[in-house]
Order: sequence, then C-alpha cells, then structure tokens
Amino acid sequence: MYDRAIVHMDLDSFFVSVECLKNSQLLGKPLLIGGMSSRGVVASCSYEARRFGVHSAMPVKMALRLCPQAIVMRGDMDEYSKYSTLVTDIIGEDAPVFEKSSIDEFYLDISGMDRFFGCFKWTQELRQKVIKESGLPISFGLSVNKLVSKIGTGEAKPNGEKQITKGTERNFLAPLSTRKIPGVGPQTYKKLSFMGIRHIYTLRDIPIRLLEREFGDHGKQLWYKANAKDNSPVVPYTEQKSMSKERTFVEDTLDMVFIRQKIIAMVDDLAYELRKSGKLTCQVTVKIRYADFNTYTKQKRIQYTANNKILLGHILHLFEQLYQRRQLIRLVGIKFGSLVYGNFQINLFDDTVEEIDLLKQMDVIRNRFGAKAIQRASSLSLPVKS
Amino acid sequence: MKFSVSSSDLLKKIQVATGVLPTNAIMPILDDFLMELKGDQLTLIASDLETTLRTVITVNGVEDGTMAVRGKILNDTIKALPEQPIEFAKEENESILVIKTSNGEYKLASDNFEEFPQIPDAVTSEGVEIPVPILESAISRTLFATSNDEMRQAMMGVYLHIQKDKLIFVATDAHKLVKYTYLDFNTSQEGSMIIPKKSLNLVRQALKGSGNVKLNYSNSHVFMEMEDTEIGCRLIDAQFPNYNAVIPTENPNLLTIDRVSFIQSLKRISIYANKTTNQLVLTLDNDGILIKAQDLDYHNEAEEKLSCQYSGDPMEVAFNSKFLVEMLTVLDTDDVIMEFSTPNRASLILPSSSADDEDLLMLVMPVMVNR
Repeated sequence: MYDRAIVHMDLDSFFVSVECLKNSQLLGKPLLIGGMSSRGVVASCSYEARRFGVHSAMPVKMALRLCPQAIVMRGDMDEYSKYSTLVTDIIGEDAPVFEKSSIDEFYLDISGMDRFFGCFKWTQELRQKVIKESGLPISFGLSVNKLVSKIGTGEAKPNGEKQITKGTERNFLAPLSTRKIPGVGPQTYKKLSFMGIRHIYTLRDIPIRLLEREFGDHGKQLWYKANAKDNSPVVPYTEQKSMSKERTFVEDTLDMVFIRQKIIAMVDDLAYELRKSGKLTCQVTVKIRYADFNTYTKQKRIQYTANNKILLGHILHLFEQLYQRRQLIRLVGIKFGSLVYGNFQINLFDDTVEEIDLLKQMDVIRNRFGAKAIQRASSLSLPVKS
Repeated sequence: MKFSVSSSDLLKKIQVATGVLPTNAIMPILDDFLMELKGDQLTLIASDLETTLRTVITVNGVEDGTMAVRGKILNDTIKALPEQPIEFAKEENESILVIKTSNGEYKLASDNFEEFPQIPDAVTSEGVEIPVPILESAISRTLFATSNDEMRQAMMGVYLHIQKDKLIFVATDAHKLVKYTYLDFNTSQEGSMIIPKKSLNLVRQALKGSGNVKLNYSNSHVFMEMEDTEIGCRLIDAQFPNYNAVIPTENPNLLTIDRVSFIQSLKRISIYANKTTNQLVLTLDNDGILIKAQDLDYHNEAEEKLSCQYSGDPMEVAFNSKFLVEMLTVLDTDDVIMEFSTPNRASLILPSSSADDEDLLMLVMPVMVNR
C-alpha cells in the first residue's frame, strides 16, 4: 500500500478575517462576530480577543465581561459564503480530490503527489495562492490521515503550516491535551479528567475495552483517535440532504401565539429557500428544546412538496403532537429532509389561483430584494393599537 | 352436495370472485367462498364485509346443499387443471369436499358455512339501468384517476351523480380529474354516491355482453346486477369535493395534437426526467410544442419538438409526465385537444370528437414553474 497524504486546510478566524478584509480599521482590534441578543453566542472572534479568554460558542455577554472593549458585529452570512466559495474555487482548481467539510475547512487527498513535487512543497504553494488570491489567512496540516492533519492545523494556527511525517504521528499527538481530539467536548473532557486522563499519551495506553465500557462506541473511537488511527476517506462532494432552521428565544416562553408566529416565519423562510434551490421535500421534522435542555424531535413523511401552506400544516400538526410537557420552551426548530430536484405539484382543491399567484409574487420580490423583504403578517408580532 | 361442471366455466367466475377475497381477513371465514346448490344453479358468494359478490353458474346438479371452502385453494386448483368436466362432492355430515377430475382426486377441508356473514339486501326505491358498454367505458376512463390517499376517503372511489337526463362519473386525486357524462339517459329519481374503487374494478372484470346493468342503491350501499353476477358494496361515506368549481371555464389557449405521437414523445422524454418527480416542461408557441426534461442529479437532459396546432399566447407549463401519459392513454381519438389558461391553472384534456351520447373531460394540474 502507498502511504496516504491528507491535507487539512482551515481559514483562520474566518468571519473575522472577512470583516477585516472589508474594513482594514478593524485589523488588530478585538472583534467578536455573533448574536447581539442576550442569548447570542460568539460565532467567531479575532486572536486579539482570544487573548482575553474569549472563544467561539461562548455567550456574547460573558465574552464582553472578559473583554469589554471588544467590537461586536452581527455578521453577514451571505458575504461569508461568497468568500468561502471563492476559496473553494481556488482549491478546487488545483486539488485532485477535496472535501469541503464546513464553511471554512477543507480536506485534500494528495496521495501520490510526492513523486512529482513533494506534498509539503505543493501544499505550501497552494496555501500561498489562497492567501494571495483571496486575501484571507489560512493554515494547514499535512499528515497520513484526516485526524492527525486536523489536529496538526490546530497546532499550526494562526497562519501557519505543519507537516507530521509518517511514523511521527503518534509522538506528535502524545503530549497534547485530550481536549484537542475532535469529538471531545466539554462533557467528555470532564469525564476523562475525572479518570485522570488529561493527555493523549495516557489515553492511548488505556485498554480499549475499558473505554468502551465507560463511553460506549464513542470510547472505541477515542482510543483509535488517540493512537492516530483514522481510515475515513476524503469524500469529494456531498449533496445537501436536508435544510433546517431553529430559533432560540430571548426568554424561555409558553406564549403559543408567539411560538406560532416564529414557526410560520421559519417555515416561510425555509420553504422559500427550498423553492429557490428548485427542490422538494418529503420529510418534515420539528424540534423542541425545553428550558431544562431536554430536546425532543418528531418527524413525518409527506408527499413531495415545496408549498408553504402544506408544509406549515404538517409542521404545526407535528408541533402540537410533540408539545406535551407544560414547560417553558427554549428553542423550536424545523427541518426539511429527503430533498429532490423538482417543482411542486399544484393541488386542484387545496390551492387557489390567488394563493399560488401570491406565493409566486412573494418569491419574485424576495429574489429581487432579499428574503426579508416581504413577510406574512401572521408571522409578525406587531404592537396592537387599542 | 354433489354436482359436476366444466372447469373453464367455473374458472371464469372464480377468477372474478377471487378479487373480492381480502388480503388479511378480519374473520377467517372471509377467506372462503360460500357455495349454494339448488337444482342446476350454483350460487357462489365472496365477501370482505365491504364488497360482496354473488355469481350464478349453471352446473349439472345431483344433490342440493351448501358449503364454505377456501377460495384461494379452489382458484389455484381450477386454474392449474386442463379443460375438462369436474365433479364436486361433499357428504352432508362430513367436512371434506372431494374434487374428482381425470387427473386425480383432491380433498379440501370445508368450513362451517353458517359462520359466513349475512349479505345486506338491496333496499332502494327505484333502480337505474345502464348499458354495459357505457358502464365499461365509464369505469375504464375514471378508475385510474382515483386517489390512494387514506386521508382523503372521498377520493378513493368514483363519484356517480344520477341526474334526470344524464349520468355523471367523476374521479380525482386532487392532481388530475376525469368527468365522464352519459347523456342518453332518463330517470325520475336523482341521487349521488361514491363507489369504492375495489368494487368498480370487480364490476369491470365481471361485465360482459351488451345488455344492461341494473343499479340499486340506498344511502349506504349500492348493488350492481349484471347478467349472472351481482356485486354489492358499502358506499364511501364522505363528501365529494366540489369538482365543478375547479373546472376552468375560460381557456383561450388551444392545442390540437396527434395523440399517439404525443404519448410516444412524452414517454421518451420522461426517461430523462427525475425519477421521483417525473416533471417535464412543455413550451408552446405557434411553431409547435417543445417537450423538455432534465434530471439535475445525473445531468441527464432531453428535448423533442413536435408539430401541432396551437393558437394562443406562447407559454411554458410543467407537468408530471405520468399524469399526462395516463390520461392520454385512456382516450381513443386520433387527435386530442388541450386547453390552457395560465401556467399555474388546471389544463383541460379533451378528445377531438366524441359519440353523441357521451362526453369526456379531463383536468390536469400543472407543476409550479419557477420564473
């Protein structure tokens, strides 16, 4: 067998970098991108902000307590995906096989390249090309599998490169904290710490059966990861299988009128996205998270459609079935699954010409002025004039 | 009970009756045929509690009697036998039916016939007579358009509206609709009902000759009497949608096209359409019709141009190709007419000509075009 050569590339603090690119005055300042509301979390933060202990997924409120001088921005997802596509195109031009695993992360399989250029040299050149053409800082890790490369990138950051050659990957991982293993979150790390396992060199010597007993299947994965074993292939392109949306409320609520409005708004937005991408769904899911973080979902198979009215009917029906506990609701989410390309079949009896025309016109307005340009009154909460 | 009968005569009746047998019966006895012999008349009854079929066969009767035997086994046996006279014999006190043929002897256990449920009687004030060919063509043209959606009971059957001077058959699944009208008709009593599709399918198989079918009905049941077979069933108790309201009246855009070449073209193009949605787009203008389909998942694409007569505004309208093919197939004229108003309203499909005593109208709902 030939050795594999896998590259993991990651754009450094992507959202922040994009904002800095657009406005150079932000450079070198602590910057947070995330929700402005009381429950918003940090989606991305600059390295200057990280120095104060801020990290992503932290509530914005807490981040501001740590770093009161930070600039908070709302973020513009459309702009970010534009830059993401730009980088994807640059990588796609050169890479033989690549996988876009998130908006700012890529895996490349360049096995066999060393015969011609040397893998490290080739990747360095690609990185310089990305930096030059997009203006965004990017880091990479090069190793024998996806796991080691990803951890390598983490070590190389910010704006760096790292090669972990074959045979050294176990030694490379050994002194690192177990927290650095992808898939080890705060919960798992806490449990591992209790067991006295804080470093990968400890974890890799634990019998696999003990880990399996404590963590189930996840434990087995942990052991393999700690031993730098990962066979997962680089999957070139994955078709979007579902689209979803969820809302965390500013305050946990029991106000059904309000929740209904939010559901109507979400279905409206998501159904518009569905039609815009020319797709139909035949599986709808509703998710409720209660104040105590217990989360429930319920799904249903339906006839292929992209019609707001039908989707809303099913979603509200599912919501009523799912909402069992008389407890404050923290989050409501919806998801459309099993997508296929197509346009929806109009119904003889349920759809009136006026409704179809309205739907069409709303889509035309949204295509021209943006998704928020027009909304249903039933999805808005306006102050009532008495 | 003892009689002999020609295997082919019996098979014809049994095959229709087998259609009644339920796939998973609530009561075991419903898997049986009830057979009653009086003189030379053998009456065979099958039922699934919703639909009941009673058919009469002329046999050489020897000894009168009644019995109940497994319908499927009997059907399989007769089907597998070569044409010949068969002898059936069952002693009064025993539960074994002996079937004697030139090939050998078959013993079949019979069940207690008294368990067989009572058949509801035809209660009606006045019956209606429909010529066999008319009923046959009405069923074959409407049945395919019925729905399979259990949530919409009303659409799982064919709606029959008996008016003073005409009979109207309507079937729909909310995406397509067929309305068949028989005009050479007279009755004093009006009525309407939704007949489940299973029964109509049986009626179609049982229809023969050129006589009349006598239709008796009550609020809950309908009984259709043919030459030697009677099929009764419970009606669907639901409100049929107001179909007249959805038939568009102003359709300024007219397409006349050769039916067979249109079907063939649609079939070829639909090979390239998405397999789950079967959607294709028709582009109509005065030069002709362009049929186009694409499957974005596989980058498959096809288009064909057909000549036709089209008068109206140029337009682009999308359909499920399955619906179009199904509807065009049940027509029998050389040319068909399609009428359009706008791309998101129902389109009409009509035969270019029809007999004086019948009238056929089909509706098909388009698919939304994003533009």
